[in-house]
Amino acid sequence: MKSLDIRTRMLLAALLPLALISTLLATVYLLARFDDMQAAYDQRNRAVVRQTALASEYGLFADNLSQLQALAAGVMQETDVRWVAILDARGKLLASAGQPEKVFAAPMSALEMQGFVPDQRLDWLAQPVNPSVIALDDLFETEGVGQNQPPQQLGQVVMVFSRQSVDARKRDMLVSGAVIGVLGLLFGMALAVFLSRGVIRPITRITELVERIGQGDFAAVDKLCDQTTKHDPLQELQSHIHLMAKRLSQARVGLEQQIALATQALREKKDEAEQANVAKSRFLAAASHDLRQPTHALGLFVSRLAQLPHDHQTGELILNLDASVRAMQNLLDGLLDISRLEAGAVQVDKRPFALSGLFDQLQQALNAESVEKGLRLRVRPTRLWVMSDATLIYRVLLNLVGNALRYTERGGVLVVARQRASGQVDLQVWDSGIGIAPEHQQAVYAEFYQVGNAARDRTKGLGLGLNIVQRTVNLLGHPLKMVSQPGRGTRFTLSLPAVVGQPDLIEEFPKDKTVPDDLRDRCALVIEDDALARSALVGLLVSWGMQVAQARGSADAFDCLAQGVVPDVIVSDYRLQDGYNGMQLVHCLQLQLGVPTPACLMSGDTDPGLIQAAQTAGLTLLHKPVRPAKLRSLLRHLLKESSVQRDMRADLA
Amino acid sequence: MHTTRRSLLVALALGVLSTGVLGQTPNLSARVVIVCSDATTAAYTQAADALTDSLVRQGVARADISRALVPDMAALLQSDSSPRASIYVALGGEATQLLVSRNVRVPVLSALIPRRSFERILRSSGKLVSNQLGAIQLDQPLARQLALIRLALPQEKRVGVLWGPESSDKAAALRILASANALELREATVSLADELPSALAQLISGSDVLLALADPSVFNSNTIQNILMSSFHARIPLVAFSPAYVRAGAVMAVYTTPVQAGNQAADVVMGVLRGKPLPDHVLDPDDFDVGVNVHVARVLDLTPDAQALRLALRRLERLERLP
Repeated sequence: MKSLDIRTRMLLAALLPLALISTLLATVYLLARFDDMQAAYDQRNRAVVRQTALASEYGLFADNLSQLQALAAGVMQETDVRWVAILDARGKLLASAGQPEKVFAAPMSALEMQGFVPDQRLDWLAQPVNPSVIALDDLFETEGVGQNQPPQQLGQVVMVFSRQSVDARKRDMLVSGAVIGVLGLLFGMALAVFLSRGVIRPITRITELVERIGQGDFAAVDKLCDQTTKHDPLQELQSHIHLMAKRLSQARVGLEQQIALATQALREKKDEAEQANVAKSRFLAAASHDLRQPTHALGLFVSRLAQLPHDHQTGELILNLDASVRAMQNLLDGLLDISRLEAGAVQVDKRPFALSGLFDQLQQALNAESVEKGLRLRVRPTRLWVMSDATLIYRVLLNLVGNALRYTERGGVLVVARQRASGQVDLQVWDSGIGIAPEHQQAVYAEFYQVGNAARDRTKGLGLGLNIVQRTVNLLGHPLKMVSQPGRGTRFTLSLPAVVGQPDLIEEFPKDKTVPDDLRDRCALVIEDDALARSALVGLLVSWGMQVAQARGSADAFDCLAQGVVPDVIVSDYRLQDGYNGMQLVHCLQLQLGVPTPACLMSGDTDPGLIQAAQTAGLTLLHKPVRPAKLRSLLRHLLKESSVQRDMRADLA
Repeated sequence: MHTTRRSLLVALALGVLSTGVLGQTPNLSARVVIVCSDATTAAYTQAADALTDSLVRQGVARADISRALVPDMAALLQSDSSPRASIYVALGGEATQLLVSRNVRVPVLSALIPRRSFERILRSSGKLVSNQLGAIQLDQPLARQLALIRLALPQEKRVGVLWGPESSDKAAALRILASANALELREATVSLADELPSALAQLISGSDVLLALADPSVFNSNTIQNILMSSFHARIPLVAFSPAYVRAGAVMAVYTTPVQAGNQAADVVMGVLRGKPLPDHVLDPDDFDVGVNVHVARVLDLTPDAQALRLALRRLERLERLP
């Protein structure tokens, strides 16, 4: 299309002046020629009339009508003559020839006259007939009286001429002029096409070349350059384009290399960062695992110790010890939560639930802490139901309220649920604490970030709470907003979708409290490779009245079974030293026993894969350090389920 | 004062003329003064030259002959210093008119003048031909013309003549002469120019030869072509009165040349200078030539010899004069 444009333009540039000049020339020359023809026609007519007048002079003088008639007939032979009339001096028609469409009665005149009848294309000419004058240079003449007498007019000749032949010749000339003009134009066009091809082809070639360069095909340059002839008028342009393409190509190669290098560097950096992250995770996992074991044991020991009778002083020490252990365990729990959230191992289980149960639980969990700190914790009772994961929401509230208590010295903490017109329920946690400066409000969600804890006082937590909150609400898809003024307090608002209350689905949080203590005399198989932890766990279970068989590993466990121990429940460590892991061992033991004996796993690992695998296998995984209360609750639950199943099996049998 | 200035102007004019135009010093004391009507017409100059030469041959001193044109002469006559002349010779009508109108006290001879012109001047001035005013006319005597016809065209008896207003007074004389020459005269009168074609046609139909007599109202440069054509078509010869007509197509003419006229004038002047008075009548030209248009004559199957005819005519006139 572009080449066509160029061609059209070139053709126009070549042909327009040509057409203009040829038309102008043709017009000028044709007009001049027409004038010439008309002039020649006029002159010839006048000459014929004069000649006729001369010839008719004597006939008029002698009144020789036959001679005049013959003359008129003879003149009719001349071209274009339509009518001839010879009149005498009085205007009387003496002779005429031809048949005019109209009688031209020109008045007698001593002058030559002429006229034109446009509608019939006829010219009429009148010529006076005067006697010929012969100079007589004799003295009689010069002395004569009538020497200055004007010649006596003898008559007049009137002739009518037709312009038909002149018009026809003009027409012919116009036609031939037009034909010549058109032929010239065609020839010019052909010539222009022929000549322009020499220019357009290279232009087209260069256009294609540039187009291909534009598409990134730099190799096309060399190929096209080879095809060009030495006589190419645009050789120079082509060579410059060639050079340009070469430079572009080189520049591109250079750029690509730089980009590749930069990409490589970035990749390395990224790998480094990833490795660092992995290392951090690994370190955290390892550290938490290694910390868990002793903390786990410590917790169990403290719990065991507390059950023993003490004097008042020792009892206080034990309470303090218990608080410290619990704080340490909370820290480890936080780390565990982070690990689980990072791993994406947290399964969201959204269902309608009543906030009232959650609030009660919260009140119970944190009431002691608030009272200890002299703060007022108010959880305003509510009857609202929401659609979310109750466990995760509880973790969120626990963190938010825990945080609030931690950073509040005076006043209190308020937890409320408000119904919004938009169909949302806002869970709000108010505190009258130190508040967060605007410049820190984004940073508080970061891991290990703590406002005003430059000394890293670990009783104030690790700085993981808000990070866990944020990760959890992001997972749930609930918006969380924070409004805070330094020195005035902070308000967190979590928006949850509201649902209509379903009274038949009363949550069973408080159930544990009411079930009777049915752990007594039940048999538990404890598999734990760490001696300290095994001893602590066994001691704890025994203190709950359970009969405990203990095994260091898989071999010991199979020995126990071989000795006739039939456990009601299996509590196993996950990581064992003799090849099996806890999951496999439990599976083997269950096969050996022939009944699906309830079992739970304990692990210091926060490996997300492990958590997933445990869920798949239908085993409850307890993370070390295990709270004695939690363990007890779980065992009770497992034993109850197993007894129900056993009853069902018995009924079926 | 006025006259002094005019004489000064005249003297100046004469000075210019004397060194330029004429080449001859006008001698105020000359005895013969020639006044030419026109400097451009060769006939007057030829006649003046012939007159001068002839006078010189007859003993008049060249210095006594002076020549002037009409305007110069008029100026001279206007002034008081009129030339001391014994005789004036006026060549042509204008010169004659000038000298007749100014009452010069010496004889005036008019030459190279058609009869009609001279008669008109006489009429207008109220003078008569006398020993103070003589003339040699240009017109040939009718007898000479008839004699030429008789000599050249002996077979043609019917002579056609077109009379015009200025020639019709000669009709009676011509009729007498014609019958004396045994010629039959056919006449037609043209009083208006319109009548010429019909009159001519009528005349031609009844004539063997046409005799043209000088009458400008009938024969002039406008009419001559068609008159000659008509006569030629009818194969009737036209005998005319001047060489110009012969050149235009007349078969022959008898006429007097300027030289012949000058010579005749010289003879008359010599007579006056010798004490004879001027003739008391208008003189006919005594010498003449005959002109023949050979081409026209050949077409008309005629073979006239101009020289022979002239000699024959002269012989005839001398014979006729002798008795």
